[in-house]
Amino acid sequence: MAETDTGNEALTANPVVVVQGIGELYRDFLREVGSMFWFIVQMFDEILERIRQGRVPFRASSFFRHTERAGVESVPLVGLVSFFLGLTMALLTGYQLQRFGTERLVPGLVAIAFTRELGPLLTGIMLAARVGAAFTAELGTMQVSEEVEAIEAMGIGPLRFLVAPRMLALFFLMPCLSTVSNIAAIFASSLICKAYFSIAFVYSLDLVTDALLIRDIITGILKSLMFGLLIGSIACYRGLTVKGGAAGVGTSTTSSVVTAITTVIGFDTLYNIVYTVFFPT
Amino acid sequence: MVELRDVVMQFEEKKVLDGLSLKVHPQDRLVIMGQSGSGKSTILRLILGILQPNSGSVFFKQFEITRLPRRKLQQVRQKIGMVYQYSALLSSRTVRDNVALPLEELTDKSREEIDKIVDEKLALVGMQDAKDRLPSELSGGMRKRVSLARALVMDPELILFDEPVAGLDPVIASVIDELIISLSEKSKVTSIIVTHEMGSAFRIGTRMAMLYQGKIIEDAPSEQFKQSTNPVVAQFLSGSTEGPILEGSLDAIATK
Repeated sequence: MAETDTGNEALTANPVVVVQGIGELYRDFLREVGSMFWFIVQMFDEILERIRQGRVPFRASSFFRHTERAGVESVPLVGLVSFFLGLTMALLTGYQLQRFGTERLVPGLVAIAFTRELGPLLTGIMLAARVGAAFTAELGTMQVSEEVEAIEAMGIGPLRFLVAPRMLALFFLMPCLSTVSNIAAIFASSLICKAYFSIAFVYSLDLVTDALLIRDIITGILKSLMFGLLIGSIACYRGLTVKGGAAGVGTSTTSSVVTAITTVIGFDTLYNIVYTVFFPT
Repeated sequence: MVELRDVVMQFEEKKVLDGLSLKVHPQDRLVIMGQSGSGKSTILRLILGILQPNSGSVFFKQFEITRLPRRKLQQVRQKIGMVYQYSALLSSRTVRDNVALPLEELTDKSREEIDKIVDEKLALVGMQDAKDRLPSELSGGMRKRVSLARALVMDPELILFDEPVAGLDPVIASVIDELIISLSEKSKVTSIIVTHEMGSAFRIGTRMAMLYQGKIIEDAPSEQFKQSTNPVVAQFLSGSTEGPILEGSLDAIATK
């Protein structure tokens, strides 16, 4: 207790220390953002240079291998989690809306919520944890075992060879997996509507198509693409900057997942604010 | 072929290389010796342009590595092969794919041509039967040989070896030594070998250099190097605990 009091006194007595601490945090944050931005620029530079030489930046087989690992193998997880969430959401909102006799709004409500917001967000969080962690651990292990340096020493650009196929795979997969998430949730809500609120499957589908607008779908897809890019760059950047052997790989993997999830949620909020300001209706 | 001029390399507070100068002539087999952590591997990374010195210049042929733009540097690196201490083979690729990687990525050769070159290089190091195995299925010596085949696949003019026989039993170490000698004689490549394995160093090297406190303190043909009167070299070669290398450090250990 005494120690805490002394600590508090020191802080209140010297606000400069607090400001200095905040300043250092801010500086570290900016440095990290700058490095990541530079990392992406370098990757595009390596890709463009390769294209200018008339060669493909990376092999299609490498891209499809990552697509399969990151995408196809994530379908069960994304589908199942979204299905359960769709069930819960339909059930809980259905009972509330039933009190006002408007339970037939449930399929549309779930469809809009998932297409615009929950589908991309949930998929982003799940892929950051599942695929982002795998990318960081894989590249981190290659980094500590000098494999990345060996690639560089051969005259091969490690960013276009290792990072580009992974990032591109995530970029294209995110909208596909978001769609899987949306379909699973809409299907789950139609099951609940049939079982508890006597809404037939066909009528549920009609309600969904009536409620959904093209712009809801476009918004969801745009978000997904951005999430894919963010998760891919954070995961690969953290992997290639691993220091300190096996322990470093562990630390970087944790940091990659935390940073990617926080960034995805933060970006989602920002996107929603901007979207609401410019397209209010 | 390779020249380092007044190179200073500092990692945070520690000055690893302190005004180091070194010249390597074509077809030399230069062995760089020195204590662990003295900066031997750093020299190899400077030649490859993976590390940038704090000051000084590094030349490979007519190219100043320290000033080359990334694009040109990548082209120059294709003329240099590197064999890493822990082999640095790509663990997810088979032996064939590891050796074929530079050819697939950097040349326009067809699959058949690549297979032919890979077979040839694997045969040179006696590893043609392990083509479809993963690095994790190979012993340390076998991995070193595959790593050597990968370094040779682009027909480099210079090969850098980082502790090529560290951690290997004496018989396998001799096999690797013989391989380095025969390859350098057959292919007329220049080699720089970093090691502190005395037997291996004298077997392979045509020239020896001793790195101490960030500088090359002795640089001579092997036979001459063996007779060196420099107290640091003499102590290093004899493995004695008495001499300038441990001055002060033994007292510190005794005090502890």
